[in-house]
Amino acid sequence: MSQAADAHVAPTSTGIDHKKLIMWLFLASDCMFFGTLISTHLLYRKLYPTGFTDAQGHQHFIQNLFNLELTSFSTFILLMSSFLMALAVSAMHKAEIKSFRRNVLGVIFFGLIFLGCQVYEFTHFYHQGLTIQNSVLGSTFYVLTGTHGTHVAIGVLWLVLLYFYSFTGKLGGHMGALDVEVAGLYWHFVDIVWIIIFTLVYLVEYLGPSGIWGSGLPALTQ
Amino acid sequence: MSEAAPSKDFLAEEVRRYHHFITLALWLAAITGAEIVLIFLPIPPMAVLTVLSLMSAGKFFAVILWFMHLIYDKKLLFWLFLTGLLLAFATFASLIALFGVERIDTKWFA
Repeated sequence: MSQAADAHVAPTSTGIDHKKLIMWLFLASDCMFFGTLISTHLLYRKLYPTGFTDAQGHQHFIQNLFNLELTSFSTFILLMSSFLMALAVSAMHKAEIKSFRRNVLGVIFFGLIFLGCQVYEFTHFYHQGLTIQNSVLGSTFYVLTGTHGTHVAIGVLWLVLLYFYSFTGKLGGHMGALDVEVAGLYWHFVDIVWIIIFTLVYLVEYLGPSGIWGSGLPALTQ
Repeated sequence: MSEAAPSKDFLAEEVRRYHHFITLALWLAAITGAEIVLIFLPIPPMAVLTVLSLMSAGKFFAVILWFMHLIYDKKLLFWLFLTGLLLAFATFASLIALFGVERIDTKWFA
C-alpha cells in the first residue's frame, strides 16, 4: 500500500479496515459458490450435449437460442459500469462528492440496463421452450445466471442507497470512502464473475460447427 | 466534511490511478471485442478455448488488481482472495475429473 493511502488506514491488528477485510473474505467465499455453480453447469452441459426438448417434443440446440450480440452488449455494459465504479471510489477518496454521485448514477444506470437485458433474455428463452424444469440445461443455466443477476440487483440496490445517503452529509471522510470502496469491491466482483460466465457459458457454445460439446445436431443457423 | 481533506500526495496518487483506470477500461473493451471475433475464426476449437480462457483470466486479474485495488492494498487481501479462488478452481477441476463423460454410462441419462 502507498504511504499516502496508509495514512488513511484505521489502527487494526492487520492494518486493514475490518469492513474491507470482511468484504474480501465474503468475496473469497462467493468465489467458491460461483465456482460450484459454473462447474455444475459445465458438467451437465457435457453430459447432456443435445441441448433441450420443449413441451412439443422438439429438440433445440442452445447455440440457436443464444443471442451473442445481446450478451456481448451486456458484457460491455457491465465492464463499463465497473470502470465507473472505480471512478466513483476514486472520487470519494478525493472527497469529490458530486463526482461520486455522477459516477455512481452511471453505475446504477448500467446495472439496470444489464438486468433489463437479462430479463429480456430469460423471457425470450422461456418462450422458446427452455424452462427451469424441462431440462437439466435449463435448471443449471437459470440457476447460474439468475444467481448472478440477483447479485447485480443487490449491488444496484446498495448503490441506490449509498447515492441517497450521500445527500445526508454523513457519507464523508475516511469512513465514507471506505463504505463506497466496500460497495465497489462487491460491484467489481459481480463484474469478474460475469467475465467467466460470458466465456464458459456463452462463448464456448460457438466453438466449432456444432459447439464444443459436439451435440451432433445441425450446425449453427444464425 | 467532518474530517481533514486528503493530502497532496494522496491526491496525486489518485490522479495517477485515474489514468490507469481509463487505460484498463479500454483494454477490457478491446479484449472482449477480440474474444467475440476469435470464436468465428477458422481455428481448432480447443485452441480457441485455450486462448479465450487466457483472455478471460487476464481480464479477471486486471479487474481484481487495479479496479479492486489489490495491487495497491496489503498483500494479505490478495492471498485471502486467492485462497477462495484456488478452492473454487480445485472444486471445478475435481468435478471435471470425477465426472469425465468418458467414464459415465450415458444410458442412465437417456
